[in-house]
Amino acid sequence: MLIVPCPNCGPRNAADLRYVGESRPRPDPNSASAKEWRAYLYERANPAGMLRETWYCRSGCRRYFVLERDTVSNEFTNPPTPVAKLGKRP
Amino acid sequence: MAESPAFESPVSTPYVSYGGVPIEPSGPGSPLTLQDHSSTTKFIVRAGSETNAFRQLSTPFATSRTEDGVLIAGQRPDEWFLVGREQAVRALAGRLDRTGHVSLIDGTHGRAMFRLTGAGSALVLEKLCGLDWNDHMTPDGAAVSGSVAKVTCDIVRNDLDGVPSYLISCDRSFGQYLFDVILDAGQEFGIQPL
Amino acid sequence: MTRLPAQPGEVIDRSRPVDFTWNGQAMSGFAGDTVASALVAGGVRVVSRSMKYRRPRGYISNDYWDPNGLVQVGDEPNVRSAHRLIEPGMAVEAQNVWPSLERDLRAVTGLASRFLTAGFYYKTFMRPAWLWPTYEKVLATFSPGGRIDPDTPHRYHDKRYAHPDVVVAGGGPTGMAAALAAAGAGARVLLVEHCHRLGGHLLWGDEHDRALAAELAAAVETAGVEVLVDSTVAGRYEDNWTGIVQRSHPVAVERLVKARAKVLIVAPGLIERPYVFDGNDKPGVMLSGAVRRFVNMYAVRPGSAAVLFTANPDGDAAAIDLERAGAEVTVVDARRGEGIVRALGGSKGVEGVVLADGRRLDCDLLVTAAGWTAPTSLLNMSGDRPVYDEAAARFFPSVSIGNVLATGGLAGDGTLDELIEHAMATGRLAAARARAVSHRLQAATARAVPVNGEEPEWPVDERPDLARDPHPALFRSTTHGVVDFSEDVSSKDMVGAAAEGYDSVELLKRYTTATMGPSQGKLETVNTVAVLAEARGQTIAEVGTTVWRPPYAPVTMGALGGRLFEPVRVSSIHPWHEANGAVFMLAGQWIRPDHYGDPAGEALNTRQNVGIMDVTPLGKLDLRGPDVPQLLSHLYTNKWMKLAVGSVRYGIMCGEDGVILDDGVTGRIGDQHYMMTTTSSGAATVWEWAENWLQTEHPDWRVHVTPVTSGYTSINVAGPKSRTLVRRLVGDVDLDPEAFRYMQVRTATVAGIRDCFMWRIGFTGELSFELHVPAGHGLTVWEALLEAGEDLGIRPFGVECQRIMRLEKGHFIVGQDTDGLTKLPAVGMPHLLKLDKPDFAGKPELTWALDDTSTPVLVAIQPTDPSVVPDEASQIVRPGTDEIIGRITSSRMSPTLERSVCLGQVLPEVSRPGSELTVVMIDGRRITARVMEHHAHIDPEGERVRG
Repeated sequence: MLIVPCPNCGPRNAADLRYVGESRPRPDPNSASAKEWRAYLYERANPAGMLRETWYCRSGCRRYFVLERDTVSNEFTNPPTPVAKLGKRP
Repeated sequence: MAESPAFESPVSTPYVSYGGVPIEPSGPGSPLTLQDHSSTTKFIVRAGSETNAFRQLSTPFATSRTEDGVLIAGQRPDEWFLVGREQAVRALAGRLDRTGHVSLIDGTHGRAMFRLTGAGSALVLEKLCGLDWNDHMTPDGAAVSGSVAKVTCDIVRNDLDGVPSYLISCDRSFGQYLFDVILDAGQEFGIQPL
Repeated sequence: MTRLPAQPGEVIDRSRPVDFTWNGQAMSGFAGDTVASALVAGGVRVVSRSMKYRRPRGYISNDYWDPNGLVQVGDEPNVRSAHRLIEPGMAVEAQNVWPSLERDLRAVTGLASRFLTAGFYYKTFMRPAWLWPTYEKVLATFSPGGRIDPDTPHRYHDKRYAHPDVVVAGGGPTGMAAALAAAGAGARVLLVEHCHRLGGHLLWGDEHDRALAAELAAAVETAGVEVLVDSTVAGRYEDNWTGIVQRSHPVAVERLVKARAKVLIVAPGLIERPYVFDGNDKPGVMLSGAVRRFVNMYAVRPGSAAVLFTANPDGDAAAIDLERAGAEVTVVDARRGEGIVRALGGSKGVEGVVLADGRRLDCDLLVTAAGWTAPTSLLNMSGDRPVYDEAAARFFPSVSIGNVLATGGLAGDGTLDELIEHAMATGRLAAARARAVSHRLQAATARAVPVNGEEPEWPVDERPDLARDPHPALFRSTTHGVVDFSEDVSSKDMVGAAAEGYDSVELLKRYTTATMGPSQGKLETVNTVAVLAEARGQTIAEVGTTVWRPPYAPVTMGALGGRLFEPVRVSSIHPWHEANGAVFMLAGQWIRPDHYGDPAGEALNTRQNVGIMDVTPLGKLDLRGPDVPQLLSHLYTNKWMKLAVGSVRYGIMCGEDGVILDDGVTGRIGDQHYMMTTTSSGAATVWEWAENWLQTEHPDWRVHVTPVTSGYTSINVAGPKSRTLVRRLVGDVDLDPEAFRYMQVRTATVAGIRDCFMWRIGFTGELSFELHVPAGHGLTVWEALLEAGEDLGIRPFGVECQRIMRLEKGHFIVGQDTDGLTKLPAVGMPHLLKLDKPDFAGKPELTWALDDTSTPVLVAIQPTDPSVVPDEASQIVRPGTDEIIGRITSSRMSPTLERSVCLGQVLPEVSRPGSELTVVMIDGRRITARVMEHHAHIDPEGERVRG
């Protein structure tokens, strides 16, 4: 089982987290065309290589965060970014 | 709340094994014990790092400490459990500076809580939970959350006189299930309900 | 009897005889005997029949992998008889023989040659499809497995996790040495050995070997290494997640250990490879290791006149062992260019052998020592692709993997001292690397003991390379023979398959099923590659090898299932339900009363008097902070900015795709304090959904979301007499209809319990008060209600009654009356969609959905015949056709109306009130039904709930 580096808890079994998926920006809901909105809903790049993705630390700190993973080697490269900067360790 | 009726624990007594055999609670001094602490007062404090309460609590995420008889456990980066006797917990909570975005919720009724104590208690947890319970990864005072027998639990290692001990809390509705499952897992190590 | 006098290295206890049966015949052995050693000691030569051709088979490798040694033990099929120890009273039988092991009639029918040639599955199973049942019947008789007893008692399998620094796979000399060195360097080590004791090949070696085995095993014990014997590292997965099956354990039949190894040392040794020649599967043809184990460990002589075909020192040692055991031995030395061509003999086994020089020798034991297979499985699982070394005639690891280290025979050859030195270096390297991994883990883990200093440099692998002993490349003689003993595939089959075009090793494997049987290629893989290389006129290196995948050894379903954790949730009133005749249902993880014996009666009583229901599973989220209205406005499709303190509002949540996600009421309890309810099954989803918005798009919103579902015991008090009842228990709230109106919330003291809150809502369609009581006093309040309501005709009601009543009232249930495509406009509540809000979840899709006239909408439906209740999910079709234009989503007999009532989804064109529908019943009958004007079958104006 993959180990996912949670920015708060530290390395955790992937089963402790929920894989949210490829991180993608939300278009402006008031101006987005149907094509843009549906690209946001359904289209994924699914690269063999570096991917920015969102995880939710469901059993641990309950924080969403974004990290970069090489989908071929499963190596996480950049340090994870907490989506919210709430309560970092003092 | 002196006039209130007795607190109804989520764990019913007498304790019954998985096979349906009643289990006699043991006396204190048994080497490995599980005790129902569900009626203990548990407050949940939510406070961001910008608040005074955050500084007052002074307990970083994933750690715990005791102040005036109240266990303060940093379970989430912005969330603490205050656990102890009701008066003590209320007193400590009352001293918190509530300015800013600070929430205080009584979690006594919503959380079942058990204490697993004994030299072999990490062995019991290893049967139920994938976290590393070795001393260097989960020392005395550590506060952690994880899945125990498929139930998300908040766990504080809170040794008693040097004997490893863990306070395990979960959603109240899972209380009976979790109590039974811990007793079952501990059977091979001679666990006794206290 | 072929039991020898006491041998110096025997592992049997002659003071403890053990009686068991073999195909019903009484047999005897000693404690410590495997089934195989006891059988051979008792003169048994044939133990199984080959899968397809039903040829008699005896032990060939006499170890866990022996393809011929699968037997039935009691109700347990496919037991590895050269591994399983005998126990008193054990009933051992040969598997799938008919009518008997000695005389399997299928051997002479020729069925197999017609049905089971290589590629049979692919050639024959395509068509015609109607022949399938026939194929199945024939094939079932050839199924190699044992007998499954459906009445087998459930046995306890266990599971645990482990976080050792180093896991060592293999408890032979190098595995033990590596474990010792790692432990000596301070690592916590888990040593896993698949046999019953540590020692590996030293156990069947000479005096010096045995002394070393004992010395190492004793040192391992004192070094504090955790040893699991009779256990297998079955798989290695991402980040060194290793699955270890512990086959014998004091408290469980088997235990699955999920170990996160910081470093994995792979030291399985080498597996002896069979030699391919005509008759190589006759009983009495054995590998040299098999013979040495029989003689030296079990004091069993497997034959008296032996011919030994040897190419290496281990084969030579077998000759010495056999001679000591009193057998006549003729050595055929491959290194001198000698060879064997054909084994002779009938159904009882080998009787002689034809040598390459044409000589014929009589023998009852034909031993081969033709070379080695490196079981690189765990390395394959770690990403290695082994390469072939022609001089050494075996495969070696090709890449270096930081946290997976190989030692022993996988890594090379040498004297025992040299191998142990390499293993010790491996153990030290593993410990050092584990320290670096540990430092990284500890430094990154919030709760861990802080570590001082920099992370140690990643220790460089400075182990000297082991030499590789040259070995003759011996795979096949000039004749064809069996390559895969488990699957009964011959080298001739393979050459034929290659000629048919299946000439890549991965294709050949699947086409012939070679290497895919119970031995999993441990004995067969290299010969398969070699035969294919020969057929293609290429080298083995050019052909390459197949990839060994998990599990390393077969794993029982029980071990994989392990300990089943199935959490269940109950409310604080559960003990009362149990004691009072509730019939329970499972709703998600919740155990809930479905009814108390009479759901229709419960419904009538609630409509006439008063009923109470335990609705604790209702999801409850405590929301606090100044920006709760923003969050609510974003999650729900309607407006929330002006909800007054003391008020409750109903809302529907949609996903970003506009599909209905959940619904419920939210009440404002205080200035910055709200209580949201969700569906019972949606509580966790909505919680994560809310957190998602708060943490990603709107971190500026100050809201604390806390799940409090179980913190309150929720009791729905419903019925025309509910106010009278609640008034008897609540003194601190003015319950007058004008003071506490429909869709309002109050905090209250109920039956002396403080800090309750209650609201007036009406899912059942009746005047109702939903009480939320701190859960530690839920039962008290429940019992107080029953007592206080006795003269009012109070009765508890369950989920089924609630389902009847809400359907009578026309309230839909998310997930029951809506599905994964149902967007908000389809449920007929236009007032809940406020598109003039600047933003909310799903806004664009909901805007577009308003123009959509092609998707089904929710309507109330009543069958023309009031006594007919169409099943839920019955289809609605266009009259006279099979064109589906809708379906019944909910249906019940209404005790109030004494007629059937339904909700359904239909195309807009037939959704107008009065439209006549054709509903197809489950038995094919077609009934008519009518679309109703309102969703509510009773009280559409809502006078009851507002009362």
